Amino acid sequence: MSNVIEQIEQQIAKLSTKAVKRNTGHIRTVADGVAKVDGLSDVMYNEMVQFPGGTIGIALNLEQDEVGCVVLGDVSQLKEGDEVTTTGKLLSVPVGRALLGRVVDALGRPIDGKGPIDSKEFYPVEKIAPGVMARKSVNQPLFTGIMAIDSMIPIGRGQRELIIGDRGTGKTTICLDTIINQARINKVGLASGDKNFRPVYSIYVAVGQKQSNVVRTIAALEAADALQYTIIVAATAADNPANQYIAPFSGAAIGEWFMENGQDALIVYDDLSKHAVAYRQISLILKRPSGREAYPGDVFYLHSRLLERAARLEGKGSLTALPVIETQAGDVSAYIPTNVISITDGQIFLETDLFNQGIRPAVSVGLSVSRVGSSAQIKVTKQVGGKLKGELAQFRELAAFAQFGSDLDAKTKATLDRGARIVELFKQPQLNPLAIEVQASILWTLQKGYFDSIEVKSVVPAMNSLRDFLATRKDTLLTAIRNKAALAPEIEAELKAAADEWKATVATK
Amino acid sequence: MAADKKTKLLARQLFKLSFEDGQVSADQVSGVLGWVSKHSPRHPLALLQLYQRLITTELARSQAVVSHAGPLAEGVLTQIEQAMTQKYRRPVTANASPDSSLLAGIRVRVGDDIYESSAASQLAALSA
Repeated sequence: MSNVIEQIEQQIAKLSTKAVKRNTGHIRTVADGVAKVDGLSDVMYNEMVQFPGGTIGIALNLEQDEVGCVVLGDVSQLKEGDEVTTTGKLLSVPVGRALLGRVVDALGRPIDGKGPIDSKEFYPVEKIAPGVMARKSVNQPLFTGIMAIDSMIPIGRGQRELIIGDRGTGKTTICLDTIINQARINKVGLASGDKNFRPVYSIYVAVGQKQSNVVRTIAALEAADALQYTIIVAATAADNPANQYIAPFSGAAIGEWFMENGQDALIVYDDLSKHAVAYRQISLILKRPSGREAYPGDVFYLHSRLLERAARLEGKGSLTALPVIETQAGDVSAYIPTNVISITDGQIFLETDLFNQGIRPAVSVGLSVSRVGSSAQIKVTKQVGGKLKGELAQFRELAAFAQFGSDLDAKTKATLDRGARIVELFKQPQLNPLAIEVQASILWTLQKGYFDSIEVKSVVPAMNSLRDFLATRKDTLLTAIRNKAALAPEIEAELKAAADEWKATVATK
Repeated sequence: MAADKKTKLLARQLFKLSFEDGQVSADQVSGVLGWVSKHSPRHPLALLQLYQRLITTELARSQAVVSHAGPLAEGVLTQIEQAMTQKYRRPVTANASPDSSLLAGIRVRVGDDIYESSAASQLAALSA
């Protein structure tokens, strides 16, 4: 009995009689996800405000007479005259390992029906990027599992690599391949018991996408057993623009937790074109001055402050960013694409023509570049793929001239033959990333001329057979390449023996 | 109709003219209203609405509305007046306003600030 009374007393003690101060205001107008509020004299920029019914908003415009707030929730319940209260807090989202394998909204609330997320830490959505002293140069690789990228446009941990292209050119597929590849590497690495192994956790931020596409993405990750290492932040086309605007920042905050806690994370912003459009919508409703293409003046800062949060930190972890930009009719010189190109450390440009020719992933080698990734490339990739970009460039140049005449000298013909085979070799089915040791082995056989005697149209089946051959019969060789990360003479000899053995099984022209 | 920039600026200027010794003065306000009716500026309705809002907000900053559920003890209003005058560094007058929805305790509103010490708010905090 006394226990019950104690409980009640404790409850009473919690009810402090001290007065609580609140700063309030009243909604003057509400439209398109933006509320203009009278009062709120103490509100801070970017502060979270509370609307009736538990709806949250952010104070974005502090004006002389009123405060412009974006509403992160159901606007239909709000009406003129409703009381709005300041919270004294910046917008924060739950972070931590508990989010792995979950699908959350822009505020970090679960939307996958798997119950509440047991997360004890919260990180602010808006945070100043790490300064120059805290950073470390990018020198650890992040393998995408796509041969054309890992060999020619390598990405390092902490890099920002833009994926740009028209609609339907495979931008999202590259991102998913990369996420799936991280999951595969994580599984192998964690199973090996190597204490120096650093897994990469992935965050996929869907901005303004169709809900059906997000469902497809989740299904693809689940099918590849990659969801356990992935967090999905979804602000779909059905969400209001405020949620779409905040989602990439929420994702960055979730990624920063891994980085700050000495782990590595990869974040995909899919896509920043729609993000810019959502921000333009909010800015126009807030009556901010508009500039080029009606985007507000700070649209560059919007993306730069987001992407600057991707970094590799001294003594801590890293956050690698893969922002996605959708171009219109291949126009990379439009406003948002040029902005993001200038912010990032390189871009992977996907061409519609290549895609339609069946070259998938449709990476345009000439226009794609990685500004910092080459220092992160492992030795084995440099050994086997160092000359590829040059060879492909030569091939394209000669291929253009070769169309005008049929008399070609032997050297030109050899360059053309080799180029055609490289192009074929880089074709890769979607959602099927290749381990770096397999990539290295395939590229080594190409460099050593094993594919020269195979007809161009048979290169892809031959590559598949080589891949299967290596995976099923030369597992120890692949493990040795993976662990040494370089082609030592004894490994090369073993690889040669394996390639000879494989070559005997494939038909030549 | 929505007030344009010039109207907003004029309303703010008229608002500044409505003060005497740092406080809104009835004489000054009637003078401003007389000027408006005499000179009939553009968008008079929007101008007066804006002016009214500014004056109302300013007056609310000098008034402590004390909502209470039960009877107020003698001298409480004076204590609140003194405390608020000291806190906001301007003369604040307190007015009582009975509100049974608070269940118990009081709520003081000065301008945008609310000092909540009511049973209703505590219960709401518990249920959240």
